[in-house]
Amino acid sequence: MSRSLKKGPFVDEKLYRKVQRLNVANQHVPVKTWARACTIVPEFVGHTFQVHNGKIFTDVFCTEDMVGHKLGEFSPTRLFRGHSNKKEGIRKS
Amino acid sequence: MPRIAGVDIPDKKKIRYALRYIFGIGPKFADDILSEADIDTDRRSGELTDQEVSQIASIIDSGYIIEGALRRQVQQHIQRLKDIRSYRGERHRRGLPVRGQRTRCNARTRKGKRKTVAGKKGVRGH
Repeated sequence: MSRSLKKGPFVDEKLYRKVQRLNVANQHVPVKTWARACTIVPEFVGHTFQVHNGKIFTDVFCTEDMVGHKLGEFSPTRLFRGHSNKKEGIRKS
Repeated sequence: MPRIAGVDIPDKKKIRYALRYIFGIGPKFADDILSEADIDTDRRSGELTDQEVSQIASIIDSGYIIEGALRRQVQQHIQRLKDIRSYRGERHRRGLPVRGQRTRCNARTRKGKRKTVAGKKGVRGH
């Protein structure tokens, strides 16, 4: 179910203030963040975020197209390296 | 046989249902179009006059995205998700369910026919 329109998009308060400060200072430095649930708002465009995926920080450069998506969508939490082939599987066990 | 929007030739059915054979027109749009054209929804599509058919066609032309154009639009939306490297785009690329369904079993619609891996079960020597 989608979020109530009344509330508006969820934007991490602290992250938003930080980006606003950067915008005022006209700076573009990567911002480390754990706020994966934070929606990307137009103010974020052009900034690089380092979004935590539980292990490492993934670099996410925000473009116009990403507005409306969440930061977490661009920092995958799972890594699938493919299935082991038969021989390898036996050797392992 | 009336031809509306290119190749669609629904016949003998009530116009209300016949219109749904066009990709992009469902129950709601079919009724919307007919009320706009002021045509009785219960009439058979084969009984419509040429004028009524062209009227329907012009309404569809002016306000609805259908068939090829709609298919292209859907593809564009998917392509956008892929281009921005979002999670959903990645799922599309891999041909896996996009909306968080389980993939341990089932999910055959997206994954296609089962690819059996020989000796996966029980062959493992300890």
